[in-house]
Amino acid sequence: MTTRLGVRRILMGAAAPLLAIVVAVVVTSLILLVAGDPVGAVWAQLFKVPLPRQIVAIINAGTVYYLSAIAVAIGFKMNLFNIGVDGQYRVASFAAALFAGQGWLPGWLNVIVALLVAMASGALWAGIAGLLRVTRGVSEVISTIMLNAIATFLVAFLLSKTAVKVVGSNATNTKPIPEGSRVPGISLDGLIATPSRVYGLIVLAVVVGFLYWFVLNKTRFGFDLRATGRSETAAVASGVNVKRMVFTSMLLSGAAAGLVGMPLLFGQDYVYGDTVQSGLGFAGIAIALLGRNNPIGIAFAALLFAFLDAQGNGLQITAGVSDRLVLVIQGVIVLSVVIAYEVVRRAGIRLEQRTVAAQLAEQARTPLEGARS
Amino acid sequence: MRHATKLAAIAAAAALSLAACGSSSTPSPGAGDTPAGTGGAALKVGMAYDVGGRGDQSFNDAAAAGLDKAKTELGVETKEASAVNGEAESARKERLQQLIDAGYTNIVAVGFAYAKSVGQVAKANPEVKFAIVDDASPDSAGPNVDQITFAEEQGSYLVGAAAALKTKSNHVGFIGGVQTDLIKKFEAGYVAGAKAVKPDIKIDVKYLTQPPDFSGFSSVDKGKAAAEGMYQGGADIIYAAAGGSGGGVFTAAKAAGKLAIGVDSDQAKTAAPDVRDVIMTSMIKKVDVGVYDFIKSVKDNTFKAGNRVFDLAAGGVDYSTTGGKIDDIKSKLDEYKAKIISGEIKVPTS
Amino acid sequence: MCVITSEPDPQRTSEDAAIDGGSMSRTEPVTTEGGSGTPVVVLRGITKRFPGVVANKDIALTVERGTVHAIVGENGAGKSTLMKILYGVQQPDEGTIVIEGKELTLRTPSDAIAAGIGMVFQHFQLADNFTVLENVVLGAEKLHGIGDRARRKISEISDAYGLGVRPDALVADLGVGARQRIEILKVLYRGARIIILDEPTAVLVPQEVDELFGNLRELKSEGLTVMFISHKLDEVLKVADAITVIRRGTTVAEVLPEGVTARDLAQLMVGSELPSPSTEESTVTDRPVLRIESTTVADPLGGRDVLTDIDLTIHAGEIVGIAGVEGNGQAELVEVIMGMREPASGQIVLGDIDTSDWHTREIREAGIGYIPEDRQRHALLLEAPLWENVILGHQTDPVNLTGPGNTLIDAAAAKRETQEIVDLYDVRTPSINVTSGSLSGGNQQKLIIGREMRRNPRVLVAAHPTRGVDVGAQAAIWDHIKAARRDGLGVLLISADLEELVGLSDTIRVILRGRLSGDFDPDTVTKEELGAAMTGAADVQPRSDEPDAVEPDAVARDALDAPSSHPSRREAPPASPTERSQP
Repeated sequence: MTTRLGVRRILMGAAAPLLAIVVAVVVTSLILLVAGDPVGAVWAQLFKVPLPRQIVAIINAGTVYYLSAIAVAIGFKMNLFNIGVDGQYRVASFAAALFAGQGWLPGWLNVIVALLVAMASGALWAGIAGLLRVTRGVSEVISTIMLNAIATFLVAFLLSKTAVKVVGSNATNTKPIPEGSRVPGISLDGLIATPSRVYGLIVLAVVVGFLYWFVLNKTRFGFDLRATGRSETAAVASGVNVKRMVFTSMLLSGAAAGLVGMPLLFGQDYVYGDTVQSGLGFAGIAIALLGRNNPIGIAFAALLFAFLDAQGNGLQITAGVSDRLVLVIQGVIVLSVVIAYEVVRRAGIRLEQRTVAAQLAEQARTPLEGARS
Repeated sequence: MRHATKLAAIAAAAALSLAACGSSSTPSPGAGDTPAGTGGAALKVGMAYDVGGRGDQSFNDAAAAGLDKAKTELGVETKEASAVNGEAESARKERLQQLIDAGYTNIVAVGFAYAKSVGQVAKANPEVKFAIVDDASPDSAGPNVDQITFAEEQGSYLVGAAAALKTKSNHVGFIGGVQTDLIKKFEAGYVAGAKAVKPDIKIDVKYLTQPPDFSGFSSVDKGKAAAEGMYQGGADIIYAAAGGSGGGVFTAAKAAGKLAIGVDSDQAKTAAPDVRDVIMTSMIKKVDVGVYDFIKSVKDNTFKAGNRVFDLAAGGVDYSTTGGKIDDIKSKLDEYKAKIISGEIKVPTS
Repeated sequence: MCVITSEPDPQRTSEDAAIDGGSMSRTEPVTTEGGSGTPVVVLRGITKRFPGVVANKDIALTVERGTVHAIVGENGAGKSTLMKILYGVQQPDEGTIVIEGKELTLRTPSDAIAAGIGMVFQHFQLADNFTVLENVVLGAEKLHGIGDRARRKISEISDAYGLGVRPDALVADLGVGARQRIEILKVLYRGARIIILDEPTAVLVPQEVDELFGNLRELKSEGLTVMFISHKLDEVLKVADAITVIRRGTTVAEVLPEGVTARDLAQLMVGSELPSPSTEESTVTDRPVLRIESTTVADPLGGRDVLTDIDLTIHAGEIVGIAGVEGNGQAELVEVIMGMREPASGQIVLGDIDTSDWHTREIREAGIGYIPEDRQRHALLLEAPLWENVILGHQTDPVNLTGPGNTLIDAAAAKRETQEIVDLYDVRTPSINVTSGSLSGGNQQKLIIGREMRRNPRVLVAAHPTRGVDVGAQAAIWDHIKAARRDGLGVLLISADLEELVGLSDTIRVILRGRLSGDFDPDTVTKEELGAAMTGAADVQPRSDEPDAVEPDAVARDALDAPSSHPSRREAPPASPTERSQP
């Protein structure tokens, strides 16, 4: 019984995203056909085997996406829609870059404290939304959108005040992190031949993913959090202090969001500047949905998005199609996957109810038939 | 997950609208064309545009004009790709590398965002020649990199003076695309030029977005909204240093019956035909000349690495007179021009 | 098919009449003169399968014109599936439906309405801010327009059937009984000749039930046919001309009310013995376990206080029952005890500690068990497995925890605990890993009872513990509550089922507009007395010396006809079920 339901759950869990990807391919092909673009060339580019350096780029981009999606998923588990991951990670990246750039602490200590600074700043920024929600009942959707905008202006302002000017450069950057505090990349020598390195802070993503799973599923706190997400009314009746829970999970989500930019900061850019990657928080929302808030599912979803990004980069060059097509594909995947999940979820509930009813009926019928005859 | 459906709808809408934001830049139809009639192995040039890409009627189009000129005059083969707002550093690197992989071994990177990528990819591909526009930092420097920079503040000074000479309300405006140090140079020159003419002039300044959001260079709607506000506030001439967003400023000028100043290209020629008549002058930044010169130097085997500065003296920046709206003040502007070239006037950069 | 026509044993009938507290039906003749002998609805061999489950199997049903035909059965027996088939919501896999002599296929409710079938749902579908007229014509504008023609038609129908509906009254101003009559009128307005009523009495107080039955008799005397779905057997016996019993998806008996008792019917329904809620000898002690002292709860929206000056003491071993029409402060009373609502004044003392400013979790940790009114919203995580639901509400109980500082969930222990609850409390489930949402209502409730009782609470707050639960589970739940009471548990029992309240409670209080009446003695009080106190219509003097606890002013609701006779509650506990086994 248990295993049958379990296997079925896994199959159904996998069926939905696969179906969604197929739907996305079909829909995108139709769009391409209508636009008169070369359908074959587009898919050839998108699904060609990536080169070794591109594989590394996919893993690296996936690492960052993963952290972002976990930050979003923490909120989702509580039925909180933290749109503000985007602003939170930018505030946190700036704070950490500013701190680490000073080189007050030597080597790894500088890295570790900078990570804590990032988590604290992300948590602080998300905490504002949490506080507004529990004290004033402001929807976190609204407040985090506003906080994203405020973060942009605040960081741009502070960056202009703290930027270090390089002669001949038009870029605005914080002071670079000292050599000794840069996190070396991990070489994939022996697996694939490329000088590119995987971000050393991929370890961070693994740790965060594990903690996410462990805290949610194994701890009392995680139980309370999931209970609140599943049914706030039942959680209240069970003694969960929902306000405190909302605030705490916003803090946690923000702390995780604070880590999003860290692999970039310590593994690639070494500064926070005006050409830093943006929009990671929004990608995280889509990836968390695609990965069903499951730490493993999110890993696959993050890699899929990173794969599409990397493969899409060459679209303009090899197929003469704008690489924004990738955004369309990603959008369609998310839409169809959410629809597919809902359909599968409802079907699953019905199926289980029927299975249970049928099994009970079977248990009960046998003696009854005998009694009635 | 019940609520997730609703959330997903928002998320998906957000994702799609992100996609839609970018859709203003259609891939160039001419990308990848091989010019007819060139015998032998044509020089292959790959061009990586900044956000907005070909068709922004401004900065990127200026670079494209240089490329197009090289194509017709030098018979080079071209391939183009453009940047996405907020993209990862690795995406820029990968774009350059893919152009090289496709055989385009002379690379033009448009915009300072490519500085680090050009530096790294140039190092990894020493046989490839690079040009980068708007950067002269050590990040992008290398023995195979031509760093093309401009004295935007000097050209901006002249159009600032023009605005001050032409304003009837003693009130002008400046709209910057993204508040970066580069665009602040435009602002600094413009303000200095205007104040040189009329020390008491009122100058409104607005930037459309803050980094890392670079959509301010490609958002016609944002440009339009900002310009409408300024015109209503009393400004009668606005300098649009905002790339593709300038189109919105021109639309607003047309609707308000006011004037605007274009940027980078001679926008009285490149802007949408119905709004060209509101463009009093443009601050021309001759990216096309820089790009063409780079390609020609490679073709002629006279390539020289290092920083080339395009200033007023070198004819790298200038103001345009298309439309004849500033013919009456041309002599005054040329006076300022001469003073800048001679060094009598030092234009601030920030 | 084994259709049993029950021949009641006369000896047993008399005995049961004495035992069964609610057998008022015996005192009133049942009207049968409306029956004309022509079958108006004939169902033959109706079978409806859902994957894995047969909801209806070989249903046979004949309803005569001008009768009230009751359909009784446990929850989940298949009554609602059958009615959905008859109303065109679902299509049968097999079988025929003959309406007024014509064999029909009903694909949608519109088909059913066209065939003259109307349905009154348990949950009213009325817009509060509309008038009666507007509600009635909504969706049927084509019939008689929306103006005077419709108004005339409504008055006409109202007069013809004695419904007493005023077309221009605002629905928001009307009571539950009047709303139900509007629903009936809506159906008649659309031309229904066969009216299906789904559990119509569930929301009514006894006096309103009598009125409804008066209306039903009116309807059938005019030649209409009423199909009446219920599991309240006394009521069925009181109003029905014929009764069909459904058990496990099929019709097992068709009986006439004259020949049977409520107990006979119940046995047909469950196929076995019937329990009844009855306390044994008193176990009430003089040791208070929970005292609520002059507690007032303000309306968060600024209106009238939702609870005013509540004084209530529950002793160890005592069950205090709270009767009342829903919405008079019961939910708030529970919430203030459970720490989910802050009292404006007064205190709540558990043992001898004031808990008024405690948080829900602390209160639960201190030993108050809680059975919420709406189990799906307040007591269960429907998408979580049973074992996680057993942790719910007891997240801080060391039994469920492990690890440093008891911060980790001990899934293995919780699963063992769940298995024990499933075994001890007879929760019918194939596994403890299925989601709680896949269990039937009764089994969900048994799981909740087990979860709360296993923690040996000092006080149990139980709101409607057997609502929507089938008869078998109901008996089990009563037994568990009684057993815990013997062990010194104090229980606050809130119920809409007067039978349950009278049967279980040591003391009954009535709640009306946020105020508690004095004590009623369940051994002597009549349903009518309770009903009057619940509506505030009659100046009932409870036995205690708090004469003004019930507001005597409100005769606002429809007037009450005091019933001529009411049975007195039994004095002795009933014989144990084994002694009353079937012949």
